[in-house]
Amino acid sequence: MLRELAENPPCIECGLCREVCPVFTILRQERISPRGLAILADRGIASVVFYQCTLCRACRVVCPVGHDPAGEQVRAQVVAQGVETEANRTMIENIRKYGNPFGPLEEGEIPKTLTCC
Amino acid sequence: MNLASLSALVGEANISTTVEDRIVYSRDASRLEGECLAVVWPSHPEQVAGLVAWAEAEDVDLVPRGAGTGLCGGATPQRSVVVDLSRLTRIGPVDAEQRRVQVEAGVVLGSLNRRLAPHGLFLPVIPGSHRASSVGGMIATDAAGLRAVRYGTMADWVEEVTLVDGLGRWHHLTGEALRDAVGREGVTGFVVEAVLRLAPRPAQRTLSLVAFDDLAALLAQRDRWLADPRLTALEYLNRHAAEAIGWEARPHLLAEFDSDGGEIGDPDRIAALWQARDGLYPVLARRGYPVIEDPQIEGEGMAALLAWLEAEGIPTFGHLGVGIVHPCFSADDERVAALYERVAAEGGRVSGEHGIGLKKKAWTDAAFRAEVQRLKAQYDPHHRINRGKLC
Ligand SMILES: Cc1cc2nc3c(=O)[nH]c(=O)nc-3n(C[C@H](O)[C@H](O)[C@H](O)COP(=O)(O)OP(=O)(O)OC[C@H]3O[C@@H](n4cnc5c(N)ncnc54)[C@H](O)[C@@H]3O)c2cc1C
Ligand code: SF4
Ligand code: SF4
Repeated sequence: MLRELAENPPCIECGLCREVCPVFTILRQERISPRGLAILADRGIASVVFYQCTLCRACRVVCPVGHDPAGEQVRAQVVAQGVETEANRTMIENIRKYGNPFGPLEEGEIPKTLTCC
Repeated sequence: MNLASLSALVGEANISTTVEDRIVYSRDASRLEGECLAVVWPSHPEQVAGLVAWAEAEDVDLVPRGAGTGLCGGATPQRSVVVDLSRLTRIGPVDAEQRRVQVEAGVVLGSLNRRLAPHGLFLPVIPGSHRASSVGGMIATDAAGLRAVRYGTMADWVEEVTLVDGLGRWHHLTGEALRDAVGREGVTGFVVEAVLRLAPRPAQRTLSLVAFDDLAALLAQRDRWLADPRLTALEYLNRHAAEAIGWEARPHLLAEFDSDGGEIGDPDRIAALWQARDGLYPVLARRGYPVIEDPQIEGEGMAALLAWLEAEGIPTFGHLGVGIVHPCFSADDERVAALYERVAAEGGRVSGEHGIGLKKKAWTDAAFRAEVQRLKAQYDPHHRINRGKLC
């Protein structure tokens, strides 16, 4: 179980969490490793890279200092700066208009496309 | 820089000059910051020789990078193109009879050992960063780590290295010639592949964790354990380091045995203790001690050094079984100079395992610098690979 954080300890860039990140293990690019995201967030870089994080928090589980990537907050900041992916925009719009991320659905209809951030 | 010709070599998707990539590749775990011009991710060892030819034509230099867990700025670029070898992850068939395996440079130690487990084998060099560090980076730094007291360093487990040098030439190094690549931190070229020797995986492991009242008692116990043939790891924590991970604020020894030598046998407890030990440096860094050193002193000098570090209140831990300790300092602590003066006076080594990189160049001696220059002239006369590192 992950505990709620009274404060979020900063990443010290050891890299120990790289291999638990499901996105990093496929792409093998530092920018999408938990460490890369932490460096970019720390510099206040508004980037669509933050949408590639699945928000799974596997990195926080293994992080020796318990750093949390806080993907939701970082994304909120990035959205506030006008940096958004088309998929994210569509998903949010769908939720606001139709109450679900898939868009208009008939009663009992199963969505044909999964719009994801 | 001609990115079109680079793209023709490795494919457009495998190069980047984005701000994001240039920032995150401008440093390694030492957080020494440089300037990254571009990043390339080769997918095959053959592409690396092409990259060297491209760098020569473009008059830029290349920095080999594995997992970037290095602690001395070895993978920090200085207006360089970073070559991230993380995608060279092929593991060849395991030769269980000869206890050998061929791997590409980007293979991560943790994945390799998972692959070897069903064969009852493992690569026994286990740095604290074993979950992330790459075989190429470990060869380049001649990594040691937690089990060095029993299994030595990477140099003891590498049978052959395939090296692409600064002129794009291929070398298949064996025997004595391995010394031109192992522990050279990439200044002679890119390690792209290696044949590794493997050890049988012990059927059982046990641990002993003991806190001591004074250093003399601790060193006496160290000597007793060093004489025990079952010993596989012997780790030290001074009271400041022990306290940082929630252990009693006294000096500790953590010993591992490949059979029933220790009193802790529960696998969960063993895993938890090693996890706490692996996390020691990050925890100390978080507490304001991010500068980690790694002197190595054999024999008597170690007792005096440990006493000084304890008296100065410097959090210290390390692989006491092989005389490597990790005192940790705040960013502006001037006692680092005093540390290396003491190490030199005792005839110790500036770096037991992390390497020299950019960080420790100032502490090297003339003989070391002459040796690096000789190797540079032989393998990389135009300084295309890891320019300005080591000397
Ligand atoms: C928490 C923590 C604990 C650690 N514990 C230990 C320990 O117990 N023992 C120990 O020895 N080290 C330890 N280290 C340091 C580090 O993990 C090792 O030096 C490791 O071997 C580096 O591997 P890497 O793949 O991350 O290499 P990188 O950091 O990417 O590179 C290290 C150096 O090797 C060069 N290099 C990388 N790959 C290649 C290649 N394929 N060809 C040529 N040159 C290359 C780089 O240019 C650089 O100079 C620790 C680090 C951390 C963060
Ligand atoms: S998130 Fe934690 S484990 Fe990952 S690099 Fe940062 S400090 Fe290390
Ligand atoms: S939370 Fe994001 S960065 Fe962390 S492991 Fe999951 S996908 Fe990777």
